[in-house]
Amino acid sequence: MTDKFTLKKDHLTPFLRKLGKGNRLVVPLKNRHGDTLFTEIDEIDGAPLDLATQPQNSIKQFLLPQREVLSTYQLQDSGSYEFTPVVPVSGPTIFFGVRSCDLSGVLYMDVTFLQGTTDAPYRKKRLDSVLIGLNCNHPFGNCFCNATKSGPFLEYGADLQFTDIGDCYLVEVGRTKGAAIVEKWHQFFTPAEEKDTKKQYQAFLEARGSFSQLVHVDQAIKRLQEDGVPSEIWHQLSARCHDCAGCAYICPTCTCFTITDSPLTADSGERLRSWDACTFSGFTRMAGGHNPVARKTDAIRQRFMHKLCYDVQKHGRPSCVGCGRCVDMCFGGTDILRFINMACEGS
Amino acid sequence: MKTAQLEDYLPRPAQVVEVVTENSQIKSFLLRFVDKKHNAGFSYQPGQFMMVSMPHCGEAPISFSSTPATKGLIRLSVRKAGTLTSAMHELKEGSIIGLRGPYGKSFPMEYLAKRDLLFVAGGIGLAPLTSVINTCLADPEYQGRITILYGSRTPEDIAFMAEIKAWQANAAVECLLTVDLATSEWQGNTGLVTSLFDQVAINPATQSAVVCGPPMMIKAVLSALAEKGFDDHDIITTMERHMKCGVGVCRHCHMDGKLVCVDGPVFTLAQLKELNVMEIS
Ligand SMILES: Cc1cc2nc3c(=O)[nH]c(=O)nc-3n(C[C@H](O)[C@H](O)[C@H](O)COP(=O)(O)OP(=O)(O)OC[C@H]3O[C@@H](n4cnc5c(N)ncnc54)[C@H](O)[C@@H]3O)c2cc1C
Ligand code: SF4
Repeated sequence: MTDKFTLKKDHLTPFLRKLGKGNRLVVPLKNRHGDTLFTEIDEIDGAPLDLATQPQNSIKQFLLPQREVLSTYQLQDSGSYEFTPVVPVSGPTIFFGVRSCDLSGVLYMDVTFLQGTTDAPYRKKRLDSVLIGLNCNHPFGNCFCNATKSGPFLEYGADLQFTDIGDCYLVEVGRTKGAAIVEKWHQFFTPAEEKDTKKQYQAFLEARGSFSQLVHVDQAIKRLQEDGVPSEIWHQLSARCHDCAGCAYICPTCTCFTITDSPLTADSGERLRSWDACTFSGFTRMAGGHNPVARKTDAIRQRFMHKLCYDVQKHGRPSCVGCGRCVDMCFGGTDILRFINMACEGS
Repeated sequence: MKTAQLEDYLPRPAQVVEVVTENSQIKSFLLRFVDKKHNAGFSYQPGQFMMVSMPHCGEAPISFSSTPATKGLIRLSVRKAGTLTSAMHELKEGSIIGLRGPYGKSFPMEYLAKRDLLFVAGGIGLAPLTSVINTCLADPEYQGRITILYGSRTPEDIAFMAEIKAWQANAAVECLLTVDLATSEWQGNTGLVTSLFDQVAINPATQSAVVCGPPMMIKAVLSALAEKGFDDHDIITTMERHMKCGVGVCRHCHMDGKLVCVDGPVFTLAQLKELNVMEIS
């Protein structure tokens, strides 16, 4: 059996309508303010699906919610203090239209949360999810996924991978969950012909040639691994960091979190996990106020070292997927593109 | 490749069996899991730690100060440092707390069992070392000599007095104390813990040094030991960092490219020297 099919564009909505039965559906949706965001939808008919714009968010929030209840606790007069686990209730979820950067982001989260330690709350949501990728024919202004080797087209990782080839999508089957979908809804799919895969290759070549950012990620990595960058660079960028964590929140691969208690009554409460950021001054502060990270000079060192050096050492590749979101987000101008360019200067 | 361990972040109830006031800032808690089966099967190694939950306070990492040789009972010794640890100081016999773990890499016990041991501690830092010392002393095969140097701020701050008395009464152990600020009754040594180095036999060829204390102390002791000729692999310490998950995911305890919770908290000086670490820079 072939693992490449075509799906007519006219059939996309009916196909998603079918998928939406019994599954939660998350798609890039244009809201009433004109912003495109990955959004959970109840009804695909009439929904303003937007596959032409880069969604402002990634799908990180669905797998690692900004705020998630890990457990609840109860205290009793008898003195007992018991925790009850809270199992995520999202259920089977289909993510459609996930661009290569964001899909690579999920693959990285898998490394973080499923290797070494298996994080039970993440695992549940991940097992429940089906990823339908969308190759990027038109990289956006700040994109550099070509330099991080996580786009514009992806060859593995998705359950189904879509490429826009004109009047239809070329659909490649990646994993068994994807194969099961094609089998179940076979009426939508036609085996792809050579002309379709040729069109896909053409689209790939055009996409690859249309990045407006020239970013030397490999060179920056090499520099960091060999003798590091001058501490001046850390100091300069740290001085400009506003401690807002916008970069970490928007980033598909930033997964640092904190765990706190939120009392509900005097005798009960919730144990929460929420997003955190290594750039926050309290992130490493120890009891008594001592902080092993000098905020003034090293506030953003961990962020870039983790993404471009430690993860390369540990997993063989950087954990920036080149989505470019933090470039728009950072009003201090201390985003990763700025850093990479500074790191490459004079080397 | 590490074996994948399923982590649900769920603390188990444990009951306080006894509270020992070590000094005005430190209390020790003897604990037992409420679930008898879990308690019977629970095991750990010196140097590892537990994530302790207190109602409405979240969690804090606390090292074992007991030896695994004592079955069915664990001891955590806690210095009042903030919200959670202060709440712990209100605990009474019978109180219930939450515990998950054990986490972290232990001291290299098999290696240490073949060596003479020099323990250097400051303040609450003696807690995890107590676990190593008493494990060695409980091991009938252990043939080495144990030297313990312990520094406190003032004579009132000396913690673990019951243990210290037992060590001082043990012919196989040499245990010396020092204080930063002496009172008129204090007969012992005054000065930094490194000032005791000249009063004991030091032999880097057969001895390994195990160090724990506040960052400034660690820094001074590590360099003094290196000066005495200890190999970097024979200088072993445990590091403290802000920690939330304990299992290498939340990244609060990053120390250059390492995470203290899973790559440590026990490190040799040789390992630390490969990193950009405040305590030795
Ligand atoms: C591996 C390990 C083993 C340890 N073993 C022991 C031991 O055996 N005995 C012992 O006494 N101690 C031990 N400690 C230290 C102990 O964990 C801390 O003293 C304890 O976490 C303090 O908790 P607290 O709630 O009392 O302090 P708090 O200061 O009230 O707060 C807890 C944490 O929250 C952070 N925090 C506070 N305010 C903020 C803010 N505004 N923003 C961000 N973060 C904030 C603090 O930096 C601190 O890390 C160990 C630490 C580690 C890492
Ligand atoms: S660091 Fe910036 S460009 Fe890289 S993945 Fe994160 S948000 Fe995207």
